Amino acid sequence: MSIIEAKDVKKWFGDFQALKGISMEIQEGEVLVVCGPSGSGKSTFIRCINRLEQHQEGSIIVDGIELTNDIKNIEAIRSEVGMVFQSFNLFPHLTVLQNITLAPTWVRKKSKADSEQKAMELLERVGIPEQANKFPGQLSGGQQQRVAIARALAMEPKIMLFDEPTSALDPEMIKEVLDVMKELAKSGMTMIVVTHEMGFAKEVADRVMLFDDGLMVEENTPNEFFDNPKNDRTKLFLSQIL
Amino acid sequence: MNIDIKKQTRVIKENLFSSPVSTLLTFITSYIMISFFRGMFGFATAPDKDWLSVLNNMQLYMVQAYPESDFIRIWICVGLGFIFSGLSVGLWETEEKTSLSKLCLTFSKIVSGIIFLTIIAPTTSVVVSTATGIREQVDVFSYAERVPLLSILLGLLVVFFLTSKINLSFNKSLLVSIYLFVPIILLWIMKIPTIQLDAENQRVFPDPLMPIANSTKIPWTLIWISFVVSYLVGVYFKNKKQFKNAVSISWVLLPLLIFSWIFKKPLIDLNELIRNDIPVFIGFLLIGVLTIYFINNKIVEKFYSYYLGLLVVVTLASLFLKVILLVKAGLLLLLLFSVIIPAVSTSAKGKRSLAIVWVVSLTTTAFLLEGGTSTTQIVVPGSSIFGGFSLTWLLAIFGTYVSFPLGVLLALGRNSSLPIIKGVCTGIIELVRSVPYITWLFFASVTMAVFLPDGVEFNLIVRVLIVTAFFSGAYFAENIRGGLQSIPKGQFEAADAIGMNTVQKTSLIVLPQALRAIVPTLVSSIITSFKDSSLVTIIGLFDFLTIGRMVIGNQSIPINFIGHDRENLLFIAFVYWIFTFTLSRRSMKFEKRLGLGER
Repeated sequence: MSIIEAKDVKKWFGDFQALKGISMEIQEGEVLVVCGPSGSGKSTFIRCINRLEQHQEGSIIVDGIELTNDIKNIEAIRSEVGMVFQSFNLFPHLTVLQNITLAPTWVRKKSKADSEQKAMELLERVGIPEQANKFPGQLSGGQQQRVAIARALAMEPKIMLFDEPTSALDPEMIKEVLDVMKELAKSGMTMIVVTHEMGFAKEVADRVMLFDDGLMVEENTPNEFFDNPKNDRTKLFLSQIL
Repeated sequence: MNIDIKKQTRVIKENLFSSPVSTLLTFITSYIMISFFRGMFGFATAPDKDWLSVLNNMQLYMVQAYPESDFIRIWICVGLGFIFSGLSVGLWETEEKTSLSKLCLTFSKIVSGIIFLTIIAPTTSVVVSTATGIREQVDVFSYAERVPLLSILLGLLVVFFLTSKINLSFNKSLLVSIYLFVPIILLWIMKIPTIQLDAENQRVFPDPLMPIANSTKIPWTLIWISFVVSYLVGVYFKNKKQFKNAVSISWVLLPLLIFSWIFKKPLIDLNELIRNDIPVFIGFLLIGVLTIYFINNKIVEKFYSYYLGLLVVVTLASLFLKVILLVKAGLLLLLLFSVIIPAVSTSAKGKRSLAIVWVVSLTTTAFLLEGGTSTTQIVVPGSSIFGGFSLTWLLAIFGTYVSFPLGVLLALGRNSSLPIIKGVCTGIIELVRSVPYITWLFFASVTMAVFLPDGVEFNLIVRVLIVTAFFSGAYFAENIRGGLQSIPKGQFEAADAIGMNTVQKTSLIVLPQALRAIVPTLVSSIITSFKDSSLVTIIGLFDFLTIGRMVIGNQSIPINFIGHDRENLLFIAFVYWIFTFTLSRRSMKFEKRLGLGER
């Protein structure tokens, strides 16, 4: 059974059409990498999946729940879908530990002790347990992004969305974040990753997609996508990026 | 005390004499400051100044005409303030340490400053004769008179230097008790010039030195003792979370208690209370708590929207019907709560905290209405129960206390996506801001009675408090809205993405950051409202400034102080400065503790 099902999704920002009809299915445990030039609609699309953006036509069904204006559905889906942003978006007034325990205690209504224990486990997993009581502003970019991943994982989501998670990082820090994401992919998490890291796509993706101008141009396994691209647009894109 | 002379010289050179322009500026400012001090000193020490006009009128300054037999109420209020301050200082004690040598360094800096000022003080002062208008120079503070003072100060410097060698460090919070201890000791040992009248009611010159009256020193000593005791209690219960919560809630309720204690005698009108208020209060209490606890019930959930509709109709109807004020206010409050109950009351924890908030806000409302509308047996001539510093303080504290939450609500409402709420909040803010404060004061004193329901009469001070709350609330709201806009969009998205609902997002993510960002603006608003409170003189209330300017300057019975308003104005300016300066220093420390501008 597919965990995300999108049919003919269209979205306009004013007069500008950002998505011109995207259809796709993602199976549970699959890792999907979405790439494409800026303004191609790839970020907009994954933001539609947890309703940070609202699509105007077509349908998106996440884990059997259709995304409509019903606020209860949206909150239910959001607690099943974790999201990691390009600019981290950690809460600067809370410590790392509080950032991670906030959602489990308030949204999942877990006890403070439980969520703190879980948070420490997650910090171990992303490799920075010693930073638990610091504030986000005191961490490096790579550490902040790993905290953001831990924060998303604390809700025990079924799906993780990554919106260009390494684009705001120094080259040296990219690796530490990608390592965490690779480990996560291997543990069987369903992931949609918008990224320009082709090495990551080759290594862990089950499928790679290319977006251009609001349309999905090509969809293929990583080997086929990189070695034997069918579409001219894909060839052009790969020639520029590699 | 290790003063590195080389380092000090370098600091002075770098900061004051780094370039020709800065050297020039240093000299010009020093000249201006020294002249200012010399002028002020000459003014204050001129023999025609009667500083006893300040000292002798302390009671007038503090409470104006509040009856002496009821002073115990004011003392209790001040005492409660100190007790809760002591508890809080103890409970939220920081681990910050300070050492004796550091303290001595600070003190010796102050003493050195005083020595410098003593040396540069002028020897003559100008007196203008009231009869002839002739200016003449008078000797005031000859160098010979300075010698004893200077030797005492130098002696103190030596003492500080010696004590600084003692290696001792202690908790910073403890200092507060010690600082407060010094004035208490002074109260007991000091002798002040006191006005004495002879058999023909003529003032005896020179004014004899007398110890301070028992009615001043005993209450202050008791207050100091209770402060220290409550500080120790606070330290003892430092790790008890419930105790902390109780103290926090008490802080919210304390102003109400103080407010009604000063105004009302007897505090509770039992007859009225049993007949009307208690049944209504209990009724509302039960409805609220039951809704909070049974909202998840299937049947209740199904009919909840009908219940809300009914509540809207009943509330609107009650506004036009002749029922007691508590019913109207209670219905409004219940409506407000019923809207947010489904969102918050989803877990046992949420239910409990919501129930507490409900009980507290209902009690507060009931208390306020009780205190504001019923009659009191404290009889005072004139329209105001008291004046002076108490009034200034009350207007500032109570104005902030009511207007701050109001400002938060208005700001959130103005940012709301619901058009009605947005419209109402924008309307209130714009209406209140577009009319000058003085106009609102006239509205309070003259027009407001027309708008109040039949049979409801508020004291003038209460009416002033209401308009003040709205006026500074509107300004707070715009400040807070500025803070709300400073929060990046990503914060909202991140909160959305982890599944938070609107209430959680606002209270946990948005408001904490918005309020942190505008602490400096908020403090300056509080300072402004503290000083603006002197405008109430225009509607016949006697605030701190008015007492000094109008009352004492015209006082002729029993002692003639006519024409002595200038020394009183200087005193008032000094008191205002002390309070605003302390407030701004506190807020700077607070900002540092929040890590403002760092994270």
